[in-house]
Amino acid sequence: MSKPLKIFLKLLLAVLGFFAVTFTVYIFNLDMKLTALIEPILLKHYDRIQKDTHL
Amino acid sequence: MAKKVGADRFGDFYIDGGKVRKRREWRGFSDTMYDYSRWLKIMMTLGKFVMKPRNVKAMLRYRWMANYLAVPMMVDRHTQGLRGEYLRICHEEQDLIIDDVAKLLDNLFRGDRRIGNDEEFSKKVVLVDENEMTTVMMGFPNLKCLSRETPSTYVSVLLNQHAAEYYIDVAQEFGLAGDVCPMPEAEAGVSIDDDAPVLGACALQCNTTCDGSLLGNGVISRRLEKEDGIPVFQLAAPLRHREDDVQDYAAQEIKNAIAFVEEHTGEKWDWKHYFECARRVNFATQCRQEWLEMNRTPYPQVFGSNLALYTETNYMAICGKIPEFETADRRITALARKAYEKKKMAAKEYRHRAIIWGVQSHYYMDFLVWLLNCWGIVPLTDMLSMVSTRVLKEEDTPENRETAYYDMAWLTENMIMRNRTHGGYKVLLDELWEFVEMFNADMVILWEHISCKALDGMHGMFEEKAREKGIPLIWVQHDLFDPRIISRQGVRDQVNTYMRTVMNEEPIDPSLEVLHDEQSW
Repeated sequence: MSKPLKIFLKLLLAVLGFFAVTFTVYIFNLDMKLTALIEPILLKHYDRIQKDTHL
Repeated sequence: MAKKVGADRFGDFYIDGGKVRKRREWRGFSDTMYDYSRWLKIMMTLGKFVMKPRNVKAMLRYRWMANYLAVPMMVDRHTQGLRGEYLRICHEEQDLIIDDVAKLLDNLFRGDRRIGNDEEFSKKVVLVDENEMTTVMMGFPNLKCLSRETPSTYVSVLLNQHAAEYYIDVAQEFGLAGDVCPMPEAEAGVSIDDDAPVLGACALQCNTTCDGSLLGNGVISRRLEKEDGIPVFQLAAPLRHREDDVQDYAAQEIKNAIAFVEEHTGEKWDWKHYFECARRVNFATQCRQEWLEMNRTPYPQVFGSNLALYTETNYMAICGKIPEFETADRRITALARKAYEKKKMAAKEYRHRAIIWGVQSHYYMDFLVWLLNCWGIVPLTDMLSMVSTRVLKEEDTPENRETAYYDMAWLTENMIMRNRTHGGYKVLLDELWEFVEMFNADMVILWEHISCKALDGMHGMFEEKAREKGIPLIWVQHDLFDPRIISRQGVRDQVNTYMRTVMNEEPIDPSLEVLHDEQSW
């Protein structure tokens, strides 16, 4: 197999791989499902911050 | 899973009691690939934003930043059921607004004394209210006009219905009344909770809409001036904005505000830049009028949240200052014309043509999409989109420079919401019925923001007029920023009950009638 063809196939595989992963994340809403898990952790963190709360 | 408009049961996408939805829609191959590509673009915008360490630092410092985890879901809510041109119009607007808010956040954190602390940059920043026309900044190309309230409360509630609750509670813990509008109350809560970025050479506040707004501004300006050392100008625009005898005073207030900014920033007003922005404002008005003209026909194109959210942003916050919005106006108009020529529809059935009036529930901005998909009610236009159509002077002449102060004053007086909730009986009540006729509407959906005294006082008069005209009027109560008072389902129930009992109709998509989305973003 020639070198340019190998590079082309590798690139094609990378693009297809990227598409397969990101499209799965997109269609099954996995990005939002993950961030929904992060939110409670962040809220707990905010509760611990010392702030100058006053009128 | 369908390409055809309206073939899905949209209620099936919800998880009972869940925060997010089960999956995204399959809209047919080309529309799904388009939506996926725009999702990728949004992820890249967010990725670029978190690449900067100062933005991560801000994310860990400010509670309201957690709401930005829900950005892609906000877009999904507004694109529900959309195909073809409607989907593209929605993305054209939403993606641009996301990009604009990301830049706003980036700039805020760059100058913020706690985060980026770029002092030179901060000297070029003028803080403005969220609920304020930014016309007085149209002639300052070298200054950054930034609003802290827009990302901390306004956009946050669009992203997450529960975003403002914490700050409303903080304000009330410190003795602020519980029956004022929760929007300024939440903004005051952010300031009280020490959760607002601190930056800027000076700030401009405006007596925007109501008593609550003045209350919030009082709390915020006290901290800005007395603790942060940032001088604040109070732009007091006349409330009787349709009267000729207030216009001289209004124009003088604009001159005073400009002089204040010049004094505190060392910048000089640039007429060339002002008239360039004025030209863009006129173009936006021209496009909006064309969209509204289409909405008067049986084939409306830019309507519902596609019209409402974009008009609010473009008219009030942008004011011709950002050229990208002109490009978006052009693209949206081209898409709308294309769909109009093909007589396209956004849903499988249009049963009613409605004018949406009053101040909409912020925690349920996608209610307009729901109205269309569940009951076939087409939200032709809404109160907040029916703003000034005055053509501004755009040629730089000595006479036009003087007129320009009056144009800026007119826009400031006619800020979104303020142009209807103040200014008398005609602008709020009479003009609604004129629009009903103009748009051939057969229904009025009247948002009743229960903490808005300006509107609640007119309840009986709206009903009287609706009876006289024989137009079905559906009251939809809500509490703007606080879904604990009236939930999203509480909002939907009011329409469901009316449609079943008074109109004797069945929903187009019954799966949307009752949704357990109390915990949802």
